[in-house]
Amino acid sequence: MAELKFLGYLAGKVGKRSQEVLLEKPQRLRDLLPSPFPEQDIVILINQKVGNLDSMIENEDRVVLMPMISGG
Amino acid sequence: MKGYTGKLLRVNLSSGKVATEELSEELKRDFLGGRGFAVKLLWDEVKHVDPLSENNKIIFSTGPLTGQALPSAGKMVIASKSPLTGGYGDGNIGTMAAIHLRRAGYDVLIVEGKSPKPCYLLIEDGSVKIADASDLWGKSTFETEDILQGRHGKNTGILDIGPGGENQVRFAVVMSQKGRAGGRPGMGAVMGSKNLKAVVVKGTGTIPAADPNKLRELGKKGYDEIKAKDKYDWWIGQGTMQAFDWCNENSCLPTYNYREGVFEHSKGMDGEVVIKTKVDRKGCPLCNMQCGNIIEDSAGLRSELDYENVGMLGPNIGLKDLRQVALLNRMADEWGLDTISLGSCIGFLMEASEKGLIPEKVSWGDFEAAQKLIVDIGKGEGLGKLVFCGVRSASEIIGKGSHRWAMQVKGLEISAYNCHACPGMALSFATSPIGAHHKDAWVISWEISTDRFSYNKEKVQKVIELQRIRGGFFESATVCRLPWVEVSFGLQSYPEYLEAITGNAYRWEDFYQIGDRIYNLMRAYWIREKGTWSRQMDYPPDRWFEEPHSQGKMKGVKLDRGKYDQMLSLYYELRGWDQNGVPTIDAFEKTGLKGVSKELIGRNG
Repeated sequence: MAELKFLGYLAGKVGKRSQEVLLEKPQRLRDLLPSPFPEQDIVILINQKVGNLDSMIENEDRVVLMPMISGG
Repeated sequence: MKGYTGKLLRVNLSSGKVATEELSEELKRDFLGGRGFAVKLLWDEVKHVDPLSENNKIIFSTGPLTGQALPSAGKMVIASKSPLTGGYGDGNIGTMAAIHLRRAGYDVLIVEGKSPKPCYLLIEDGSVKIADASDLWGKSTFETEDILQGRHGKNTGILDIGPGGENQVRFAVVMSQKGRAGGRPGMGAVMGSKNLKAVVVKGTGTIPAADPNKLRELGKKGYDEIKAKDKYDWWIGQGTMQAFDWCNENSCLPTYNYREGVFEHSKGMDGEVVIKTKVDRKGCPLCNMQCGNIIEDSAGLRSELDYENVGMLGPNIGLKDLRQVALLNRMADEWGLDTISLGSCIGFLMEASEKGLIPEKVSWGDFEAAQKLIVDIGKGEGLGKLVFCGVRSASEIIGKGSHRWAMQVKGLEISAYNCHACPGMALSFATSPIGAHHKDAWVISWEISTDRFSYNKEKVQKVIELQRIRGGFFESATVCRLPWVEVSFGLQSYPEYLEAITGNAYRWEDFYQIGDRIYNLMRAYWIREKGTWSRQMDYPPDRWFEEPHSQGKMKGVKLDRGKYDQMLSLYYELRGWDQNGVPTIDAFEKTGLKGVSKELIGRNG
């Protein structure tokens, strides 16, 4: 299973804060997300490393998608 | 230049003298407004004084955008020589007083001297009175606001202090509208030292603009653009509390006096909980993205929460109940105490107690003890006396290495972001021109989105870029940065606003130049007033270098002192400052500050 975690308004877009996905083969991250999904001003971490919507996701990956916030 | 009232109101509380002065064209051109005006006036007029003496001055300063019908333009800057840090101190505050001051015909109010008895200032257009405040002294900021509104009407701008400011707690703030606070480095204490309980302003005039029709059109477009943003609805729901879960996920939540970056009880008090709990929201004047979350606290009273106060009065002191956090927050607002410094002081005492450095037992998460501490701090009694002047002072008193975990820079307690794993943000805190505050540059998102653990040049450049925009432009224009930083409102709007207001064309490069000038002068102010300077002033606390996180995904991570040192050197180089952090003569001259260096010669440590 890959785990996707959504923070901030991205959780609102998806309607949940986290999601587990069973993947038969590696898939592009954007194919696991609802469309359209925000592409600007977001940060994607895959296993704590910076990724993007075209990164390939495998089972056991932990993906965090979060907005670029600015600390007030 | 159009777009300014062009007037400064000066009130001397010692003599009772009231004067109106013209603002020079050079001041408007070179320093823009707000923070820019404040630092120039302090540089010229407040030299080598005791911050709590009648020789200090407090400046209420607006900018050309203040009070115009533009997104989040209801702000002013309150500045003075700080009694907490001994250096330049300021803070912005959203308040009707900012708008009324401009409508009354003034861009700036300077209060100097000291009243022989408690007083408040009543400004009604051209009429200025120093009124008796004996009946208000000792009252909370909420009671004070109610009484003054009852006396002078609801359509009034009020700035006031609580008992914390009266008693000159060094991190007392100025309050307005029962929840808005400004002036973290003790601006409330400066008012208290002058026996100035409040400033009440009623203005009925028109705030000038070169092209009012164009400005109205731009304002409407701006408000509409903000409401149409993707993030708008989420922001309205959570406001800055969206950062709570975000910071916990990224190990930068201040927890147990910044030992950790994650809190085991975070789920019980994050933005989702706020959405479910809130009963109302509140904000500053002229704002259509209000960020104040009102919830009922554990005593059933209304309390306005944002991320900073929840972070500092929650995880940082080990308190897990949001309604209890809200109660502490309301107490701080009533007493007129800065919630960030307060949370840091309480966390410091809890850690000192745990380590056996003080005899009193104050445990992590002890709600009853925290309430008592707020009262003791506000009165300067009991254990409150130890942190009355902040954690730097407290660590000097108890010694035994406690300075290593007194979480401050230059004497100002650090805002609610743990930087064990955020070198860029550590640099931002360490070089912030008022001491460790987040308003000038908040770089954590950017560093996580690039290379979190690097100490590279790009990161230093980013800190400076943000300082120019946030600390230079927004603080001086004077308008809230949150539309830009939180819902991605376009920066290109601001030169258009300035042109419609002043009649002059601006580019962002012009704002950068003004920002650099302001930064050089703020730094010069610190150096002149301190009398000595070294790069050690620009370091974050030892804890971040020495004690790695023991929990969460960043377990084992801490800052690297050698690499930080290189990053700081780069920062100085890019700013044109020498390796002690002192601006060079060339840097001063390039930013039009000829002559400033003469006042610093021989004072560099």
